[in-house]
Amino acid sequence: MKQKIGVYICHCGGNISDYVDVEKVRQSIEHDEGVFLAKTTMFACADSNQKEMVEDIENEKLDSVVVASCSPKLHLLTFRAVTERAGLNKYNYVHANIREQVSWAHSDNKEGATQKAIQIVKAAIAKVRNAESLEPIKVKATNAVAVIGAGVAGMRAAIELAEAGADVYLIEREFFVGGRVAQWDDLCITEETGKELITRLYDEVMKHKHVTLFTGAEVVENKGSVGNFTLKVKVTPRHFKLNCISNELQKAIDVCPVEVPDEFNFNITTRKAIYHNYPSEYPQLPAIDMKNCTRCGECEKVCNSIDFSQKTEYLNLKVGSILLATGFDPYEPKHGEFGYGEIENVVTFPQFKRIVHYCDDKLIYKGKEIKNIAYIYCVGSRQVDGENKYCSRYCCTANIHTAITVKKKYKNIHNFHFNRGIRTYGKAEIWYDESSRLGDIYLQSFEHDPPVIEKRGDQTFVRIKDILTTNKELEVVADLVVLVTGMVPRKDNSIANLLKIPKGRDNFFNEIHMKLRPVETVIDGVTISGASQGPKNIMESMNSALAAATKSFELVASGELALEPTVAKVDEQSCDWCGKCEEACPYSAFDKIEKDGKFVARVNAAVCKGCGMCLPVCPVNALDLIGLTDEDVESMIDALIPTV
Amino acid sequence: MARINPEFTDELKKYGAFDPNACYNCGNCTAVCTLSDENNSFPRKMVRYSVLGLDSEIKASLDPWLCYYCGECSSTCPREADPGELMMSLRRWLIAKYDWTGLSGLLYKYLVASVSAFILLAVAVIWFGYYESFHLETIMHYGHYFEMGAISVVFLFILLPNIIHMWWLTTYKPGVKVPLSAYFRCLSDLLVHMFTQKRTLGCDDNQVRWFEHFVLVLGYLLLLFTTVFLDWFSSQSLFVIILGYIESVIIFVVTFDFIRRRIQKDQEISKHSHPSDWFFVIWLFLMGLSAFFVRLFVDLNILENNIWLYLVHLIILVQWALIIVPFGKWTHFLYRSFAIYFATLQQAAIKQNGKKS
Repeated sequence: MKQKIGVYICHCGGNISDYVDVEKVRQSIEHDEGVFLAKTTMFACADSNQKEMVEDIENEKLDSVVVASCSPKLHLLTFRAVTERAGLNKYNYVHANIREQVSWAHSDNKEGATQKAIQIVKAAIAKVRNAESLEPIKVKATNAVAVIGAGVAGMRAAIELAEAGADVYLIEREFFVGGRVAQWDDLCITEETGKELITRLYDEVMKHKHVTLFTGAEVVENKGSVGNFTLKVKVTPRHFKLNCISNELQKAIDVCPVEVPDEFNFNITTRKAIYHNYPSEYPQLPAIDMKNCTRCGECEKVCNSIDFSQKTEYLNLKVGSILLATGFDPYEPKHGEFGYGEIENVVTFPQFKRIVHYCDDKLIYKGKEIKNIAYIYCVGSRQVDGENKYCSRYCCTANIHTAITVKKKYKNIHNFHFNRGIRTYGKAEIWYDESSRLGDIYLQSFEHDPPVIEKRGDQTFVRIKDILTTNKELEVVADLVVLVTGMVPRKDNSIANLLKIPKGRDNFFNEIHMKLRPVETVIDGVTISGASQGPKNIMESMNSALAAATKSFELVASGELALEPTVAKVDEQSCDWCGKCEEACPYSAFDKIEKDGKFVARVNAAVCKGCGMCLPVCPVNALDLIGLTDEDVESMIDALIPTV
Repeated sequence: MARINPEFTDELKKYGAFDPNACYNCGNCTAVCTLSDENNSFPRKMVRYSVLGLDSEIKASLDPWLCYYCGECSSTCPREADPGELMMSLRRWLIAKYDWTGLSGLLYKYLVASVSAFILLAVAVIWFGYYESFHLETIMHYGHYFEMGAISVVFLFILLPNIIHMWWLTTYKPGVKVPLSAYFRCLSDLLVHMFTQKRTLGCDDNQVRWFEHFVLVLGYLLLLFTTVFLDWFSSQSLFVIILGYIESVIIFVVTFDFIRRRIQKDQEISKHSHPSDWFFVIWLFLMGLSAFFVRLFVDLNILENNIWLYLVHLIILVQWALIIVPFGKWTHFLYRSFAIYFATLQQAAIKQNGKKS
């Protein structure tokens, strides 16, 4: 029981005191049990007041502190820090919110507001009376990080972590590194190709002995928590021996009779069951796609390097932190959306990029030379009816850059951009300028009145009510219609379920705080980066990859972690394992253990977030929350009920 | 439904348009224009039509003629797309489209065609002089006949049909139902604007431009009248003689100033000069000057010995009357005033029918 509580009631300029009689509040609580000192202050958060609080705590030997001011979201940490500076354990501080919850909410009733403020402060005092000093939970951390996904973001993060001194396991589901960027040819602004970027990153990755790259590898199981994750990784073999003769490899590809749609080219071409995405792809060794291989044996006849005896392996990796860089999928338009799948010369933007890559002097698609190209923007993004309300950010810039490339690469190309407002933000604005000066035509419509694609005879028409031309109905005969598709989360995002990563409304991975904690997740030890978190261009992906690498490294670097002590605890005497707490826990923090001849629940303090979901489900009330015990809450409720 | 034609701007560039594709539709040009109003909003709409290549919409529009080119739009354009010069080019393009003979387009687009026509006519005049053994009186006699003949033929066979064509494109074809009485009621507008160009006063720039132009038009029309109907070169009346001198002086002094401005390029309006602009001002200048000296030589009694001067004057006159007047920039005198006339008619139609058709 605290004996020397200091209470500070804030005017917040007039934000509080204009509606709440702060002096009356002070008077009503100054004689409460345990209150040693009660003051009002103009701005509790002001430097001068913070100094005064430190002096009060030191001189008067206060054992606990309450500040009644704004929301704890704003200043809880501020005043905890004040108590720490004065040598008090920070858990002896309790925050009362009398601004958002009182003065702002009840500006029409000053008397009622004052009464409510008094009760809230009394409740805070009741809680602080029971406060105990707590120490952070210390956890050992393995100095290794698993980076999931070897695209640009993943490779960049891996390099960064390795350079900082952590062991890195770079886990890639495909047989080849590079992700989506490997599929792009010319890139915007830097005028490099995606392959060049991938080559540079791959070379750097391979230089580091601290990085271990797994391809064809997938995380299938996750145990443990921040500092000590154990990941079970399934590694699918390539069915190729490491040292092999390269001309034999090509022969093996040539003789393979199986042809399947090539996903690397977004299904506009086919590939064999033995494949590499492009010559000199990394790692520079083809792989056999066993889902489609018929085991006909033709390849083995021409190539000695093929080894069908290789088996799927399972590895257990111990890491302190997990960095997700799993990327995105391009939006796949629905059948009939802007004629997709119904009209043969309607393609998506990624497909168009690949078509441009394969056409040298003339742009040809399905045997027909392309002159007039219509681009339909915001397909799958900024949807009016669909789920994807967000803007995919990269598509305006990427598409305009490609339109310019096309115009320069081939003769007599006419580009028509059917958009809903061009968003070539930042430095990319120059591309918009260049494209329009090259004679590209921009037509704009509102979201509820999109352009219409129609096939009449053997011609494809794109029709729009152009708001830039007094809503006039205009049409273009297009040889090719490109649907500028945005980014959507990976279709197979099983890793998110495995790690219980929360997703936002857009279904991308969700960070804790967009601005303040942009790469951390509520799952301690798991950071997110790149387009797995939401649409990003390469520059933005790099930024977030470096940020995530830093946050992951911070966790594993010192070998030890200090965690919040406000977690659930089990009274082992009354607990008789029923499993209800395990079901209720959103973080899988409970284990079943044997103790003194019976099964009881155990809380993994490194995983528990102190959310309290388990407390009400326990039939024998064996659970409690450190820092917010039943006793604390009951005493607060007692204080909140106004004395009649 | 209008079909987009991206190649139109290439065609337009031959008439002098600069970079309409740079336009990003901000609308500053229309906002800053003091002549643009809700009935006739320009130049952004015309820039947009040009970029999209909606040629029938442009042909049906009177807007290019309602712009009097102060140049404010070009100097405020954030993309330097030069909407003012685009409007100028559209006027040239429209002149070519109104002209049923198709010669205007040829002369505007190909400098070599213009130069050949000028040379051809010069040779024809010299050949005619040679044919008449350089006998001054005969040549002057025929020269006078030529003036009268050229006026009527050019007017009847070129200008009148072209104005009817303009009416057909801008008023009849778009289906504007103009009440017949309005054609008579609005005639005053046509005449006032034709002889005063008072719409220029609506432009925001300095009004010296309007005054110079007004004096020039007046001087030109009077000189035409004085030479053709009062037979200035042969007149004995002191009043007519002095009147002719004053008129010709006005013409070459004012056009000299116009030429100076086009060389110095100190104003937005004089920054860009298409060959047709140069032909127009230089030939007008030469006409005034040569007419002045012809009469001076007559008065000094030395023309007989300097017949070359009259031949030079006649060459300039013939080139002017057969190239610049029917197919060149001279036509803006008619089209501008008729455009205002037609615009007034359209307003009358809207008033009558309640809405814009």
